[in-house]
Amino acid sequence: MEVLEAIKGRRSVRSFEDRPVEKEVLVLLMEAGVWAPSGGNAQTWRFVLVTDKETLRKIKMVSPGLLGRPPAVIVICQDVKEALQKGGTMGSETLTKMDSAMCAQNIMLTAHSLDLGTCVIASFHPKAVQELLSLPAETVPQLLVSVGYPKRVPSAPKRKTEGIYFFEEYHG
Amino acid sequence: MDNKEFEEKIFELATYAVVSARNLLEEPARYGPFRLVDTVSRLVEILETADMSSERLEGLGKRIEDGKYTAMGTEAEYRDFLESLVSFLVEEIGREGKQ
Repeated sequence: MEVLEAIKGRRSVRSFEDRPVEKEVLVLLMEAGVWAPSGGNAQTWRFVLVTDKETLRKIKMVSPGLLGRPPAVIVICQDVKEALQKGGTMGSETLTKMDSAMCAQNIMLTAHSLDLGTCVIASFHPKAVQELLSLPAETVPQLLVSVGYPKRVPSAPKRKTEGIYFFEEYHG
Repeated sequence: MDNKEFEEKIFELATYAVVSARNLLEEPARYGPFRLVDTVSRLVEILETADMSSERLEGLGKRIEDGKYTAMGTEAEYRDFLESLVSFLVEEIGREGKQ
């Protein structure tokens, strides 16, 4: 699949088939994730792959943005202590969030190329997720990515292209 | 669904609603109506599973499921969707005295 085709074809999927995602596929998504750029090449991300139904149920309870019943959720975390050591406060407070987002996009595009649906989620209670997954204090969950075989794929919302980019100088 | 399962489902819903309330303090204002309507949708689903639903609740649940993601569209689309739910409910209220 061409990159632009994948970018334009990816949708936020919130309705999934009741069918598990193969472990090796999830591992492949991890590979895609860690090939994202990171500020100062810090690579301070950590991941928890949740496929157990009972754990998914608990995560869903404290994640209002997690819609539908995905068979897998990738919890993208950042070791903020290591990020602080490597990149100072900019690293721990800003770059980690950007790194997580770029990592999530890699995961979602790769998933789309494998006919999987995904949705990236920021609406969850980080401390609750941290506790439910036994994450250490310095390992902070920043994004969830739900993963599964799509039951329903929404149509693409319109994209605004007029008046949002300018060559050489802003003249909006 | 036995009482224990029913209690668990209501507990799930209660947790979802409370965490939503907490998170909404920092989230986009538009998420608020979405969470409220989604809470109704989840409640209707629980009642259906527990065989405690009704035609009008199922009608409401279906309407919500069909249109709740208009929240991701334009504000006008979402307003129209919410208005259509209110119209449906008002119609159902009107029927109460006539049955």
